[in-house]
Amino acid sequence: MTLLEVSGLTVGVEHSPHALLRDVGFTVEAGQIMGLVGESGSGKTMTSLAIMGLLPVGIERRAGMVRLEGRDLANPDRGDVKRNANDLTMIFQDPRSALNPTMRVGRQISRALELNQDLKRADAKSRASEMLGHVGIPGADRVARAYPHQLSGGMCQRVMIAMALACRPRVLIADEPTTALDVTIQAQIFDLINELVEETGCGVLFITHDLGAIAEMCDQVTVLYGGQVMETGDLRQVFTDPRHPYTQFLFDAVEREVDPRIEEKDVNFALQGCRFGHRCPYAFDACAAFPPLFEVGEGHFASCFLHQKENLVGSS
Amino acid sequence: MALLEVRDLYKTFGHGRTLTPAVRGVDLEVERGQTLGLVGESGCGKTTLGRVVVGLQEPTSGAIYFDGELLDGRMSKPEYRRRVQMVFQHPAQSLNRRMRVGTTLSEPLRLLNVAPRGEVEGRVDEVLRLVGLGPEDLKRRPSQLSGGQQQRVAIARALMPEPDLVVLDEPTSSLDQSVRGRIIALLRSIQEERDVAYVFISHDLSTVRRIADRVAVMYLGRIVEVAPTEQVFEDPQHPYTKALLSALPSMDLDNRGSRIILEGETPNPSEIPVGCSFQDRCPLVHDRCRREEPRLVALPDGREVACFAIGDPG
Amino acid sequence: MGRPADPSRQEGEHVSTADPAPDAKPSGFGRGSGDDGKSDPFEAPEIAGETTRLPLWRRKPLLIAGFVILTAFVLLAVFGPLFVSDPRVTDTANTYEAPSPDHWFGTDKFGRDVFARAVHAARLDITIGIVIAMAAMVVGSTIGVVSGYFGGWVDEGLMRITDVVLAFPGFVLALILVAAIGNTIPNVIIAVTIAYIPYFIRLTRAQVLSERELEYVDGAKLAGNGRWRIAFRHVLPNSMGPSVVQAALVAGWAILTVAGLAFLGVGIRPPTAEWGVMVAEGAPDIMTGQWWTALFAGGMIVLAAMAFQFIGDDLGAEGV
Repeated sequence: MTLLEVSGLTVGVEHSPHALLRDVGFTVEAGQIMGLVGESGSGKTMTSLAIMGLLPVGIERRAGMVRLEGRDLANPDRGDVKRNANDLTMIFQDPRSALNPTMRVGRQISRALELNQDLKRADAKSRASEMLGHVGIPGADRVARAYPHQLSGGMCQRVMIAMALACRPRVLIADEPTTALDVTIQAQIFDLINELVEETGCGVLFITHDLGAIAEMCDQVTVLYGGQVMETGDLRQVFTDPRHPYTQFLFDAVEREVDPRIEEKDVNFALQGCRFGHRCPYAFDACAAFPPLFEVGEGHFASCFLHQKENLVGSS
Repeated sequence: MALLEVRDLYKTFGHGRTLTPAVRGVDLEVERGQTLGLVGESGCGKTTLGRVVVGLQEPTSGAIYFDGELLDGRMSKPEYRRRVQMVFQHPAQSLNRRMRVGTTLSEPLRLLNVAPRGEVEGRVDEVLRLVGLGPEDLKRRPSQLSGGQQQRVAIARALMPEPDLVVLDEPTSSLDQSVRGRIIALLRSIQEERDVAYVFISHDLSTVRRIADRVAVMYLGRIVEVAPTEQVFEDPQHPYTKALLSALPSMDLDNRGSRIILEGETPNPSEIPVGCSFQDRCPLVHDRCRREEPRLVALPDGREVACFAIGDPG
Repeated sequence: MGRPADPSRQEGEHVSTADPAPDAKPSGFGRGSGDDGKSDPFEAPEIAGETTRLPLWRRKPLLIAGFVILTAFVLLAVFGPLFVSDPRVTDTANTYEAPSPDHWFGTDKFGRDVFARAVHAARLDITIGIVIAMAAMVVGSTIGVVSGYFGGWVDEGLMRITDVVLAFPGFVLALILVAAIGNTIPNVIIAVTIAYIPYFIRLTRAQVLSERELEYVDGAKLAGNGRWRIAFRHVLPNSMGPSVVQAALVAGWAILTVAGLAFLGVGIRPPTAEWGVMVAEGAPDIMTGQWWTALFAGGMIVLAAMAFQFIGDDLGAEGV
């Protein structure tokens, strides 16, 4: 069942013609983890903020639709975000700075419960402790009384996960949740997320730049570059048979030598056509237009004109 | 004789009640023109070790031999600086943001008396080309360069005095994945061309694998395993190394979820337990581990491991 | 400007500290593909070479206003005296004349042309304001960097001295100093400068404390820089941001202080044409209805101080 549906999402800076995100779309299914992978500047964080309605001042959503279980989250302003916490929550990259440093962590969770689930203080408190135990924190009651700076990074991330899942959301957005953590702790957190997905059947949008993490965790993957969806589909398909030049370049960079024809250039947001156009060794005249997603396999899409039927070389 | 030899090195921070031992009795060797990978997670002391080797920090005790000579507080002298250099983790931060690239690069030449005045420009151009930048970058400030380019400048700066050894502290961790590969390739080609030795510090094992000849694994200030790179990756011995490798997310889709998950977290460096520092998380722990601390012991195949369950350093 | 840098050196942590780029990049997106995912995602990215935001005069109107006014004053100060009559010429036959086409600001009790005096005073006061601000900034930041970079007992000592100086309100301190060393123009400048030095010491020192933890300082050490060179050649230039902003503000306050001292009779003495002197001499005249002798000078003090204030405020708000 599709829990979150994003389509045609276009986001840009006010007073500027350029788009930071262009026609971004993907879905998150129940009990599944969709990976959103991209390098810095690809727009993956911007995407999550746009979905949550947390776009910074000066950035506007220009087009597109975000639907949660069929309901339109059209242009939620700050007030609506609160209402959605039971449906959609987010955990961030640097756990310590994402938690309120002046509030004990247990209280932070129980407050979220009081506000979003209308629980009474006592009930919220006990559920908060319960959640902390649930995410594998030993001595949950003691930890609940601690402040974020007294806890390690791994613990803080668990607290954040506890807070995010306490309200039993349908969809969890995890933006680089383990990038700031040690790899052995990362393994623990991945394990935890997998467990929770199995248990609650929620969907996860897992945002990262780490291809290995995507390979470990995700069921589907969407590759983002310069605000454009380059490729999307089932994890196995995309990883074993990448069809977009950018995806191939990304995999090459990690595993072996990069194609020397591809230069180290910054993203050019002024490009009207394909955002990889200025670096792609296969670029040709069609690439001056913005490529739609072409189907290259079952449930597997790539936004590259090489896959436009007329351009396919040889028999199809 | 190895280019760099570290013997029983200790570095402790703080004083009085709050002592934090960052490095506890480390022995290391680095051969000429070779790369030693130094891996470990936060708090293991690898950065501190790197800084002590380079001379940014004085050791608390222990000895460092460079090219056969014992260094005795001579580490901040220009001669040492000419031969041992460092590249840091955050490229933007490691360059003076108000200084142009040209000035940043010519500074070591002038201050360390490496080249006579007339040659400075030529040398700078040479090294600039070596790291894949061009003369147009000389006038630029760091903010006008991408992360990868900034790191290239930092590498160029380190290479200006033609050092024999360069310590690289997480040089690619702040860079995009696609840029990482290029920087690693660059470092390798420089190594070949100039016969520079590297100490490559990183928490990212997959990157280390691509450049190191030997790998030393650190945990809480001590080295727990040293071996040639492929041996460490194919056949890790120490339980911590095994867990570390197993925790590495890999692109191999057929091996998902078969990981060793360590319990608990790394203890605080100022609260290291008596005995083996890994005891609270180790699947092989027994009584002796709680009383004594294992030292690095050479195994028959030449590698070294510090664990009572593996070799017996009795 | 002077955004606190991240001093963390924890292993395994990837926190980027890239500062926003003041110069335009050759192409593409903001600060380079190095690490943007880790920098503040809540900041609007800068697309180089593009006016992605409103033009400067709409974003920072006060800054522009301040510069316009200041430029007018500077022009007045530089060229004005060439076009007006000698401010010292008295004309006892024409005292207390109201503003007229002959005397734009009227004449004072000695028959001197108030406008001429005001223009000459502009030259003096604007110069004094700028000189004091620059001097205080230079001395203050030098002390600040030595204190902040070297630390130890030097730092302790200097900080305690600064504390003592700051215990006195600036004006009172200037007053005491002027009383002690005499009120010639150079002495007044020195006294007021001393009163403002501590601000710069504190500002620079604070910035230096975080700068010295950054990696480029280590890089400079490895490049062969000695401690003094690092302090002055590397750290100090990077620590001056807040001080420059403060200097703009101090210039305005200095003018007010000097004028105030003159008004009390302990600063610059008549018959020197100085705004404060003019206000002091002309104040009693207001009672008898001759408002022009004091008001124009007073108005110029306010305008000049305001101009510096606007510049200082808006300069600091978004960073240089």
